[in-house]
Amino acid sequence: MATLKEIKLRIESVKNTKQITNAMKMVAVSKLRRAQENILQARPYADYINDMLKTLKLKNTTTSHPLLTDISGEGKTALIIVTSDRGLCGSFNSQIIRKAQSHIKKHFNVDIICIGKKGYDFFKTHSKKVIDSYINLFNEMDFSISKDVAEKILNLYLQEDYIRIDVLYNEFKSAIQQDIIVKQLLPIIPIESENVSKLDFLYEPDEDTIIEELGRKYIHVDIWRIMLESSAAEQGARMTAMDSATDNAADMIDNLTLFYNRARQAVITKEIIEIASGAEATQQ
Amino acid sequence: MDKLHLEIIQPTKIKIQDDFDHIIVPGVDGDFGVDLNHTAFITKIRPGILQLYKGKRIDKYAIHDGFVTVENNIIVIICDTIEKENEINHKRAEESKKRTEKRIKSSGKDIDFRRAEISLKRALVRLHLSGK
Repeated sequence: MATLKEIKLRIESVKNTKQITNAMKMVAVSKLRRAQENILQARPYADYINDMLKTLKLKNTTTSHPLLTDISGEGKTALIIVTSDRGLCGSFNSQIIRKAQSHIKKHFNVDIICIGKKGYDFFKTHSKKVIDSYINLFNEMDFSISKDVAEKILNLYLQEDYIRIDVLYNEFKSAIQQDIIVKQLLPIIPIESENVSKLDFLYEPDEDTIIEELGRKYIHVDIWRIMLESSAAEQGARMTAMDSATDNAADMIDNLTLFYNRARQAVITKEIIEIASGAEATQQ
Repeated sequence: MDKLHLEIIQPTKIKIQDDFDHIIVPGVDGDFGVDLNHTAFITKIRPGILQLYKGKRIDKYAIHDGFVTVENNIIVIICDTIEKENEINHKRAEESKKRTEKRIKSSGKDIDFRRAEISLKRALVRLHLSGK
């Protein structure tokens, strides 16, 4: 049986761990809130661009801009996998990696682009098709950073002969629930909307330039939203994981304290017996 | 409605949501003014100065990219960067101008001229507006 001192040290160390997990939970809560605010603030911009693209697409059934036109048939595709940079967030990363593997098995010719360190660490050893990676971006999230990522992806799509680029990411549902989503990023499919304008617009300089620029902006804000969603989901997952870790630590402290008190009692009983039997011996 | 309603939307916030009498926008093919009942119109914005007239007041903004749509007296501008006169950092703009000019003059082969040009234009717009 462990000595009293050993148990006491153990309790102290579990208490420290509990403090750390609790602090991490608090940090996750505040980061989650910030990501959520950013998601809400990006919505008017994203909605407006979507409505404009939808308007343009409906009006010009003849346009065949590569950003908007579906290419059917077989061909090379790319998959963007969004994971977190840091661990300690439950099954957040392992789930998305599993999903990515099954997606890659289903579609044969898939190149991989990783956003987030955890996914990159996994796929650089398990796959030879990682063509690009963006790591350590989530710590200081900023629109200009996601815009750079989006530009590189756009150029990749326009210069190489990809028929499609998909994106796999966690979408924030609530603090305890994340949904893994596979979505086609390029070519762009504008979401159905009721705010489609019926007016005939004059375009300056010309329609193609406008579609190209709107399309680029659409991808900028979509990547921004996806990174924010993933970040919010990550913080949500971390919050839940750290919450249960804190609970477990509290349980462990309770058990150990009980154990400690029992051991202490046993020692005292033993001492009393020794004294009593010693006294008895001298009396006889 | 006898006023123009203007909304300036950025990815991180809605910058302006207000009514104005007259607006001058720097479009790619030249500056254009918008009065009441302007025709439906979409254009790209080039780096330049956006002027908003309201009564006797004129607000000036440095704007660098984006789109403007005019539709039924509602004007929507979507852009990434826009700064009001007093928000511009004059010193930073000056430094950026010098830096870009140097880069263009050094004329190496791997310079992205298009980017340098845009960056120079931005700096010039900022200087022009904050210099007054």
